[in-house]
Amino acid sequence: MSQINYRTINVDALDPESSTNFPMESLLPATLPQAASASDAANAATQVRQMLRGGDPEGALRTVLDTAPLGGDDRAKEVHLATVIDVLQGIRQGEMTRILEGVCSGDGGAERADCLMKYLYKGMSSAAPGGGAQTPKKVVSPQNTGFSQIQARNLAEGGGGQQMSVLLSWHEKLVEIAGTGSIVRVMTDRRTV
Amino acid sequence: MSQSLRPYLQAVRSSLTAALTISNFASQTSERHNCPEIEANSSPEILLNPLHISRNENEKVKIEPSYNSVRISIRIKQADEIEHILVHKFTRFLTQRAESFFILRRKPVEGYDISFLITNFHTEKMLTHKLIDFVIEFMEEVDKEISEMKLFLNARARFVAESFLTPFD
Repeated sequence: MSQINYRTINVDALDPESSTNFPMESLLPATLPQAASASDAANAATQVRQMLRGGDPEGALRTVLDTAPLGGDDRAKEVHLATVIDVLQGIRQGEMTRILEGVCSGDGGAERADCLMKYLYKGMSSAAPGGGAQTPKKVVSPQNTGFSQIQARNLAEGGGGQQMSVLLSWHEKLVEIAGTGSIVRVMTDRRTV
Repeated sequence: MSQSLRPYLQAVRSSLTAALTISNFASQTSERHNCPEIEANSSPEILLNPLHISRNENEKVKIEPSYNSVRISIRIKQADEIEHILVHKFTRFLTQRAESFFILRRKPVEGYDISFLITNFHTEKMLTHKLIDFVIEFMEEVDKEISEMKLFLNARARFVAESFLTPFD
């Protein structure tokens, strides 16, 4: 015990009454839907993709946002995120505003808007599938001194740029309809998607 | 180019507008102290969900809001090694003079090139929408600045190489 420098011990962490040990579970509402598993999310995904293929993008978006696994585990959330991004990419630019207005109106429309906003931010925070995931690779110079500029031209434009621009245009449209308050609710809501 | 830049900056602007609703909040751990909670990290309930906005892998913004402070980290576009060096020198130049920029953080967050830390005292002293304008303008200008510097550097290198090789002609 004598070897430990007692001045470096964070005493707050040892005090159960300290604000450092705030019970974060107490911030989640009691009415949270029960935890969804990855297979539930996959089932919802097939259903939604069918709707999308059947020519009902508005219904697909509505369903995917209503079945968001707020209380699920990380795996279920990942599967659901992929479904949402698929739906968003499957909707054409010209139809966005009309579909968004339909989805964000009616019963529970505001909740769906907030949920979509959460997914937009989550989609942008995760690396793009396929292009992303790995860390940007180190560019190797042909000589061991100096550096070369001979390399892929569109390095900056690649790597999930397509998916991001879709999410960014959805974000812009959604802010127009749901307002800044929706972003504030994304920041403060502990029920993450 | 600017086709995808506009929605990106627009998204940053609206997210910042939402995140910069901050107010005074005294430290809960030490009496008569008042520190930015996002940095002190002393109570988890004060920190809010971070927001990520990205245009592609190499250009992204991370906004970490808390009750009384917001940390904004920017990753500047670096297409090749020269741009990487230029960005490094440029951000180093700025962060060494962080005192005169008020909201600049001395050290960037891991994985980003430059960070800003805005506390409630800044938003009380300065206009919030002007602060947002400043961050947006910085993001617009820094890209231009870097590519301009790169062109200038290349032109100078060519000139130097030419005049160096003239005697051997």
